[in-house]
Formats: sequence, structure tokens, C-alpha cells
Amino acid sequence: MTLFGLAARNLTRNKARTALTVLGVAVAVVTFVFLRTIVSAWTVAADFAAKDRIVTRHKITFIMTLPKRYVDDVRAAEGVRRATFASWFGGRDPAHETEFFGTFGVDTDSYFDVYDEMVVPAEQFEAWKQDRAGAIVGDVLAQKLGWKVGDRVTLESGIFPAPPGQTWTFTIDGIYTATAKSVDRSTFHFHWAYLNDALPERARDQVGWIVSRIEDPSRSADRSRALDDLFDPRDVQTLSQDERSFNASFLAGISAVLRAIDIVSLAILAVMGLVLGNTIAMGVRERTSEYGVLRAIGFLPGAIAGFIVAEAVLLGVVGGALGLAVAYPFVEGGVGRWLEENMGSMFPYFRVMTSDALMALAAVVALAAASSLVPALGAARLRVTEALRRVA
Amino acid sequence: MIPIRYNLRSLAVRKATTFATAFGIALVVFVLAAALMLAEGIARTLGASGRSDVAIVLRKGSENELSSGIDDPQVSLVAAMPGVAADASGPLVTGEVVVVTALEKLGAVGLSNVQLRGVPANGFAFRPAARVVEGRAPKPGTDEALVGVRIRGRFRGTDLGQSFDLRKGRPITIVGVFADDGSSHESEIWCDLDTLRTAFGREGTVSAIRVRLTAPSAFEGFQTTLEADKRLGLAASRESSYYEKQSSGTSTFIKALGGAVAVFFALGAMIGATITMYAAVANRTREIGTLRALGFSRASILASFVLESVALALGGGLLGVAGALAMRGVRFSMMNFASWSEVVFTFEPTASIVTTALVFAGGMGLLGGILPAVRAAGISPTAAMRA
Repeated sequence: MTLFGLAARNLTRNKARTALTVLGVAVAVVTFVFLRTIVSAWTVAADFAAKDRIVTRHKITFIMTLPKRYVDDVRAAEGVRRATFASWFGGRDPAHETEFFGTFGVDTDSYFDVYDEMVVPAEQFEAWKQDRAGAIVGDVLAQKLGWKVGDRVTLESGIFPAPPGQTWTFTIDGIYTATAKSVDRSTFHFHWAYLNDALPERARDQVGWIVSRIEDPSRSADRSRALDDLFDPRDVQTLSQDERSFNASFLAGISAVLRAIDIVSLAILAVMGLVLGNTIAMGVRERTSEYGVLRAIGFLPGAIAGFIVAEAVLLGVVGGALGLAVAYPFVEGGVGRWLEENMGSMFPYFRVMTSDALMALAAVVALAAASSLVPALGAARLRVTEALRRVA
Repeated sequence: MIPIRYNLRSLAVRKATTFATAFGIALVVFVLAAALMLAEGIARTLGASGRSDVAIVLRKGSENELSSGIDDPQVSLVAAMPGVAADASGPLVTGEVVVVTALEKLGAVGLSNVQLRGVPANGFAFRPAARVVEGRAPKPGTDEALVGVRIRGRFRGTDLGQSFDLRKGRPITIVGVFADDGSSHESEIWCDLDTLRTAFGREGTVSAIRVRLTAPSAFEGFQTTLEADKRLGLAASRESSYYEKQSSGTSTFIKALGGAVAVFFALGAMIGATITMYAAVANRTREIGTLRALGFSRASILASFVLESVALALGGGLLGVAGALAMRGVRFSMMNFASWSEVVFTFEPTASIVTTALVFAGGMGLLGGILPAVRAAGISPTAAMRA
């Protein structure tokens, strides 16, 4: 029998304890993967952002707008392929008070070209273009609020009160799906012109931000700086960032939460290490006299230690594999589905990253080895005569 | 009944195992208690911001100060309404403008939003708890500003003596630090009303009007008068309930996240307790047999081992609670989802949080210990004594 075979056989001696330990490791792996996925899902928008897209906004604050004529300047700038703009409407559906979704007034002709990962069926898109009060909404949002093409919805906005005697009423003309993971499929888009025409004179011709696609993604930093330099002498200064940095700046606001989740995910690994180490230590204590026998028939101390570590690693691998087998359906099928449907603006894509799964497995193996080290060294150092005399 | 001392001494014999198990439980309790304390801190910070005898007036349909705008002449109309308290210098009213600005967050990548409040000359008189704790009060009508004690130095240019740009060529200088009894104002920067309005193109408007009421009970009358005038298009809330609404989203989020994590953790730690207790039962088979032979009933053996497990878990629970209490000095800065700007929160312990955490620990011990205890109770005395 090989050393490893002996280690494996030893695990079947106390089946209840082995089963519990495997279960404990599995629970820890599920938790770890779940927590890591929260962090990844938050950062996924940053990671999958188009690198050839630059967002230009007011330098000081997101609540202030840019003059619409800036759009033409951006379009004329060197290296810019296509540019579009949008304004934050801040709309809510009074029939669904608690549902939060992004509402944007967007440029009819260019918006869906620049955001080409949002796909609208051609005939719906044409209908929207012809309909001044039309809207295109995400499939997740439409499903959640029970909207169909042709429905009329009335929104309220705290930022743009409806003109006296009127309401903000839109017709759903199209429903978009997405070809990229990072797209929030719970947003509401309508014609910027519809909003602009309804505003009082002094508030007209303002846009929230300008988005441009550039020819050479590797030069996004230069292009951003060139745009900001262009507007620097004007009365409103801008801040241009590639989409990835733009999304990352949102993460700064919740960086403390992300760090806390990171720490907690390490704590669960620590709990797992304790459970594993405890199991191994108990096993070693009970088998002290057997190790004495092994030493007496000629096994070296290193072999004894190796054989205890192998037992722990095997335990860890089995538990880790079980944990991953549960984590995938749990995160992707259960919690993830729910989060994508109900909190899509925060977690547009809640799936297990392969790198997180691998990290979990690696951590389990490393922890198993580390937590068995103390009992293993203890057992290896035992004097043969003493070990044989010891009664468990 | 087997004396509890027997269990405690049994735990003490196997120090390493006992400690490892208790430490696992301690981590679980720590996470749970810390999350609850943070949620409490959020509620308390935003709760401290609101008083029940102050009404806040926003444009109808606006959920917060940021998205609201009210024309200046309406401030005096609101000030003249019934229920508004007055002192020698006139009605107690303050019309303020609130904006956010993106500043570089130190120690994190990227920009984050900080709330700026343009405060009129009587802003301090209106909030008796607010006071300058370092530096001096700014001169009215200048580019001088005060920073809240909780965010000072957390963003570039926000510490005493530093400055940042309101817009190009319009720097403001921090000349003092103010405190306001732990409220969310301590995470704001207070500037001169007109300086801020000019810099942000908000001349002639304020974001919100706050009025001191003659008594908390005067609110309903004030609200009825205000909202009856449809031309104004304004809505009033009691300041305390306004901030309660502001905090509910973020504190629910923290509670849900912390609770979900604690439940998972608890499963892991409970399994740890079960393993330990099974081992304890296996090692003490002879002892258990002896106890049975001495006349202790199966029920008292069962109770004894469950009690041992609960004692083990409570020990861990105490350790965890102690760890969580040590978080009291830690400042936790995060975005408040309701205002889109950063607010610094503290961890606030309460007696009920400590109780909840310990009950949770005891529950883990109970559930983790029950199966091993059943096995212990099932041991036949004769077989055990022969072992």
C-alpha cells in the first residue's frame, strides 16, 4: 500500500468526522465563492467596459450639465469616431415606488450606435425613431414591471417636474437585450429632444454627459486629456475618462464595503482552517501509538509528517470540490438569478468567475496543508518508545 | 443533574481544541455583531441629523436636497406660515443649497462625491449642536469654508488650511473644522451660501428650507398650510422622518449582507462545534458509562453535553463580541445610496445587539451539540465500562 493510499484509508476510519469536516470545508468554499462573486460582480462593469469609449462630464460634479454645443466640438475632435450624449432623468414609476432603474434622455440618432452592445430589433428601433414620446427599455426591467411593446407608462421625476398640466408619459416602442455581460438590462431610454422641448427656455440645450468612441483604444488617455484641454478655457470645464476609469470611480464610493467583504472572505477561510486543523489534530492524537509502530518498523519522521499532510490535503480537495459543485448552481441559479432580476442596476452580471473558483480551491489546499503542519511536525518529532507507551 | 463544573473542566483539559472551536464561533459572532453595529451607526448618524421640531421643505417630488430646487422668494413665504418659531431676530428659518463635488479619495482609487452645503449666516444659530472645534469660523461672503470633523483629510484638499477648487479659478479654503453631535453634517463641507450658489450657477434658488417649529406637534398644521398652496409646489417632512428614510436603504443593505454572511459562517462554525463534541463524547465513553452507573439518567447526560457545547459557544461568542466592541473607534466611510455622497459612519454597540450576538452563539452551540449529546445519552453503561 502506498503512503497516499494509507492516508486515504485513514479518512474512512471515523466516517462521521470525515463527513462533517468535508461538509464544513464545502460550506466555507460556498461562502467564499459567494463573497468573492459579490466583489467581482461589482467590479465586472469596470472590467468589461469598452476601452475605446470615453465619457466626458462636468469637471466638478455629476449634478451639473454641459452645454449641448460641446457635443459638436467632441465630434470634431481628432481621433473621435462617433459621439453621443445623454441626460439623467431621475424618473420613477409611481405604480412601482420602490423599484429603482436608470432613466436617460438619449440622442436618437447616435446613442445605440455608440452603445452597440445594446441590441434592439430593427423594426422596433424604427418605430421608436418615429415616435417622439417613445421609449426603449431593458428586457429585465420590462419583465419585472410587466411592460410590453405598445404599453404606455407615466413616470415622475424630482429633477424635471412635468410642465404644468402635463405628465411625462411614454410609449414602450422597443425592448433591448445585451451582447455583453456588463450591460445593465434594467434601464429606460427615451428621446433627449422630448425632454429638452418641454423645459423652460433657460434650462434647454444641456446634456448630462457626452460619450465618444475613439479610433485607437490604446490612446484613450491622450484623447481624454485633449478633450479636457479643449474645454479648459471655456466657461464649463470637463472631466474625461475612459469608461473603465469612469466605472471604477463609482467603486471608490463603496471601497470600504468591498474591503470589508474581502476581509470577511478571509475570515471564513480562517474558520475553515480551524475546523480542518482541529480534525487532523484529533486524528493524530488518537493514532499516536500507530505512528510509533510505523516509526518502529522503519518509516522516517518525514514520511510520518508527509502522510498526515497528505491526509489533510485529500480532505481539503474533496471538501473543496464538493463546495464548488454546490457553489455554481447556488450562486448562478439561485441567488445570482434573483440579484440580476431584482438588483440589476447594481449586479448586472452575477456569475462565478473561474479565477475565484480556482482561488477557492487553491486556498483550501494551502490551508489544509498549513493547518496539518503543527500536528504533523508534532507526530514526526515523537520518540518511538514514548509514542508506543502513549494511550489515546 | 451533573454539575456544570464537570463540563467546564472537561473543556479546559483540551485547551487547543476548545480554543480552535471557540475561535471559529468568535469570528462568526464578530461578523454578525459588527454588521449590526454598523447598521445601528448608520441609523444613528442619520438619526442625529434630524429633529422632530424641525420641518424640511423640498420641491414636491424630490426625494432629497440634491434634486430639489426652490426659488428664493418662497423662503420668506414659508417663514411666515403658522407654526414657525421665531426669536428676537425673526423667524427661525434657513434656506440652504446642497451640491456634491467629486474629490479624490485618499487611500482609494478614483473620485468620490462629497456633499457641499451653502449655509446662510444664521446656519449655526439654527443648529445649536453645531460648533467649530478647531480653527475658526469663516468670514461671511468669502471663499472660506468649514469641514466636518468626520471627513476632514479623507479627500484631497479637505484638511485644515488646505484648499480645493469649486470651479476653475474659484478655490475655497478650509479655515475650520466643525462638529455636530455625530450627525451626517459632519461628513459635509459648509461654505458660504452665495459663494457656493455662484460657483454652481444656482443663483436665486436654494435646495431646501428648514424651519424650527414652535413645538413638534405644530408640524401637521404647518404641513397642511404649506401643501394646500398648490402654486408653491412644495412638500414638507419632519426632519427626523426625512433622515430616517435616507438611512433605511443603506442600513438595510448592510444588515442583509451581514446577516446572510453570518448565517453561512454559522453553518461552518456549527459543524466545527459538532466535530469537537463528537470527539469529546468518544474520548469520554468510559466516564459517561461511569456516570450512568452512578445513577445519572440519560436525560441528564444529554443535558450535560448540550450544556457543554453551549458553554463552549458562549465563550466564543464573548470573544467575538469583545472583538466587535473594539471596532468602536473605527470609522467606516461609504456612499450613502440616498444622497450619492460619502458619509462616514461609526460602529455603535447597543445592549440588544450584544444580546442578539450571544443568543446567536448559544444557538450555534445548542444545534451543534445536540447530535453528539444524543449519542452520549445512548451509551450503555455496561458496554462503556468494559471499553
